[in-house]
Formats: sequence, C-alpha cells, structure tokens
Amino acid sequence: MRRDVEALYAADPRTGFRICPLDSLTAYYHRRSGVTHVVADPVPQILTALHGTPLSLEALLAHLVAADGLIITEDSKAALAERLEELCTIGLVLRI
Amino acid sequence: MKHHFSVAVGPTGFRIGAAWRAPIAALEQLYAAYPKPEEGLADFTVRLEPQTRLRLWLRPSVAINGDFMLPDALPLPLAQGVLAAEMGMNLQMAMGQRHFLLLHASSVERDGKALILTGESGSGKSTLSALLGERGWRFMGDEFALIDPVSGLAYPFPRPISLKNEAIAVMTDALPADRFGPLLPGTPKGDIRHMIPAFSAIAAMSVPARPALILFPRFGYAADVRDMGGSEVFVRLTQASTNYVALGERGFDALSNLVTQVPARAIDYPDTENAVALVEKLWAEYT
Amino acid sequence: MAQSPENKDITAPTRRHLLQLGALGATAVVTVRPALAQTAGSILKCEIPVPDPARSAQYIAADGRLVAPGTPGAFAGAYRPFKGEDVKRALAGGTLPGTSATQSQAYVNYIRRLQAGQSGFTCYASLQMPR
Repeated sequence: MRRDVEALYAADPRTGFRICPLDSLTAYYHRRSGVTHVVADPVPQILTALHGTPLSLEALLAHLVAADGLIITEDSKAALAERLEELCTIGLVLRI
Repeated sequence: MKHHFSVAVGPTGFRIGAAWRAPIAALEQLYAAYPKPEEGLADFTVRLEPQTRLRLWLRPSVAINGDFMLPDALPLPLAQGVLAAEMGMNLQMAMGQRHFLLLHASSVERDGKALILTGESGSGKSTLSALLGERGWRFMGDEFALIDPVSGLAYPFPRPISLKNEAIAVMTDALPADRFGPLLPGTPKGDIRHMIPAFSAIAAMSVPARPALILFPRFGYAADVRDMGGSEVFVRLTQASTNYVALGERGFDALSNLVTQVPARAIDYPDTENAVALVEKLWAEYT
Repeated sequence: MAQSPENKDITAPTRRHLLQLGALGATAVVTVRPALAQTAGSILKCEIPVPDPARSAQYIAADGRLVAPGTPGAFAGAYRPFKGEDVKRALAGGTLPGTSATQSQAYVNYIRRLQAGQSGFTCYASLQMPR
C-alpha cells in the first residue's frame, strides 16, 4: 500500500527531551528549543513509537492500535495527521 | 548617585542609589535589622532618579532604574520612594536572579519544612504569611520563594512585608507600632504599609527549608479545599515563576521535582482566621 | 488500576485505559510561555475589562464608581476590554479608543479604583509595576 512519496515521521531523539509524567498529562522539556510542552495522550505514545524508527502515518496508526490499544474510528487517520502536524510545528516530531 | 544604601535580603545583596535623601532614610529605618551584603558586594543595583532634572525639586517623582529596567514604567511620587525601591528590587530579582527558580509566592517554615503559598495578587498570600510568622512559624518571605534547583530547598527572601489596604489593620491591631513603616496612601496598589518581619526571621535569612506543602489560596470565598492534578500545579507554577523559561532545563528539573514530590492543594477562605485554621489542618494532614 | 499476579494472563490491552486520538480540531499540546513579560512591550498586551464581567450590567459614573444601569450622567460598560497600551496612553492624558472624552475619563477613574482581586487589576498594576 505504501507509496514511495509517503512521508515518514520521526521523534526528535529521546535524549532531546526531559519527561515528567504529571497526571493524565505529561510535561516534556525539549532541549533543542528550550521550550516546555504539557501534552495529552496520545502524544507520549506517538513520541515513544517514533523514537528510533521513522514511521509513515499508516504504520504509526497500526502501531498505536497494537501497542497502546488505540480505538479506531472513521476520523482516526485525519486526527492522527492533525496530531503529527501539531508536533511537527513545535519541533517534537520531524517529517523526513 | 548622591545617596545610597546597601542591604542583604536572603542570599541577595542590593545597592540602592537615590537622587534624594528621603527614600534612603526610609529604607535605613525599614531595613535597620538587616545585614549588609557580604564583602560589600551587591548582586543588583537600583537607582531612584528624577525623570527629568526639573523633577528633582518640582513635584518630585521617582523613576526606577537599574540593571534591568522597564522603559515605560510610570514614575511614582517621592513620598512613595520606598515602594519604588521595592519595585526596583523585585524587578532585578525577577529578571536577573539565575541561581534560583523564583516563584511569586510567600513562604513560612516550621520544623525545618517550608509551606509555600502562591496565588495572584489579592489571593492574600502576603497577609497570611505575615500572620503565620507571628503564630509559631518562621516567616521566609511574602514575595518570592527561591527554589534551589540542585537541592530542591526553598531559600528565604524575608524583605519587609508589603501590607495592602484591609490587611494593614489586621496586622497593626496585633503588633507594636515599631514593627511598621509609614503608611503610604494612594499608591498604584492602594494603601501600602510595610511590616518588619520578626527579628528571628531576619536572623535566619540564610537558612533554607525543605518544601513540604504548596497551597494556592483564594480570598473571599467560603472555606474549601480542592485537590489539584499534577498538570494544573505544574502549569500554575510556571506562571507563578518569573524565570522558569530563562532557567531552561534546570528550571524544568526543579519544577518537576517540586510538583512530583510536594503535595499541593487549592484553598478558599472567607477571612484570615479561617485561612490560618485551614493551613494548620492541612499541614497536620500532609507533613 | 494495578494488576494483581493472578490476572496476568488477561488478554485485554495492559494499558490503564484505551487510547483515543482526541477530536478533530482539538489540541493535545499546551506550550509554556514566560509568565513575566521580558519587555515592557509584552506587558502592555494585557487587558482591562470595564467594568468587571461579573458586574457588566452596571454603569460607570464620572468618578469611576459602579452605579445602577441607566443612572443619568453615567456610562454603560465598554463592549470590549481595553488593551494595557490604550490604558497607559489614557492615564497619561489621552482618550480610550472608541470613547468620548468624558466617557474615557469615567472609565479611567474606574480603572484607577481597581483593587486587588478585580478583573484587570493585575494588568493595571503591571502597567506601573514589574509584576
């Protein structure tokens, strides 16, 4: 299914963060930018999945289902694309 | 500068210069029990100057200058010179202090453990710390709590307490007159009167304490205690800090440790007596 | 919910809860910004509502006190909060945007009377204070 032009996503290397789980939210300090982000699920799961292994949108979705019990709905792909876009904008995820 | 005055408050030394004698004399009185900076070295400088040469004499007004400046800050009348000095000292701390994570908070100590009270202007944190400081607690500061990123300890910054409006009578009714500076009516924050901390609190100004409880007080509501999630505490403390972002990773580590290790509660209270009772109850519960 | 050793063989996902992606258009990230404005410029971005939203029905008398709606000589509240920058200009003798001279004066008097705890007080104080 995967087209050659399909974008791959990668997390900024794990050493690039300091992570503090708070409650349902998690604080990330991003070393490269010096900025703190407080994030909700599924961001920690996305960053863990993309650590070390760049994945396509489809592959990431499949991984989140298998590893984290993600519930698939008809909006899932669009919602995940949105989350990734958000993470790319703030530099926690790189599009490669 | 023509007149000047140096003082140490907690770990920080200040040198205040002024074009007039009056504000320096007032500071000398207010800070009479405070030590001088070690080896005479000040960390920060504040200058109280006339905005223009004419303003030295004609309806004199004080512009606050220093290492860090707010170029647009409005000048204050000369009678409020002490307030101008205090604002200048706050600004230098807020912008320039890099050794500690600064929280806009009051703090008090008992049994080596610190209670941190943080909230917006009007939350009553200042009055509450002043009152607790007279009731068996050591007053550590009403403006800034200094968190050492390495040890996690809270260091005192026990400058004179800036009592505002209704809080003035609460304290003047309870304490002798020599504990207070002059009344400063009609400042941008209303009436202000400074209260000199207990001598023992000034003498222990370099003794830190381990944070044991963080409270977010809110004045003017029926007594209530509310649990807070870690994320709410974390975000509110970033907003209560003047230098969290500037400290970078050290700030993040200091704050994460504080939030994950120290219990925090929001409290509402209708009056100071209720607040003191709530504080004592929560302190017994969580420490 | 912690799992006891007895139900190790449960086949359901071992996560605390099932993961959801969140609604379309929702955000999952809050970025921490500096609390204290690093420049006077950003301090001036704060806002002051006139009057406090909790008392939005009341009118503002010339001396800045809140009075009953319809009081002669008093003004209805402003539709939108004023920017710190506008208030600073008005305090220095200017006029608040979208107001007449007397209306502006009444609003400025209201702002001068703001006390700790009221909406806009922090902004008003920050116009002259480093906090």
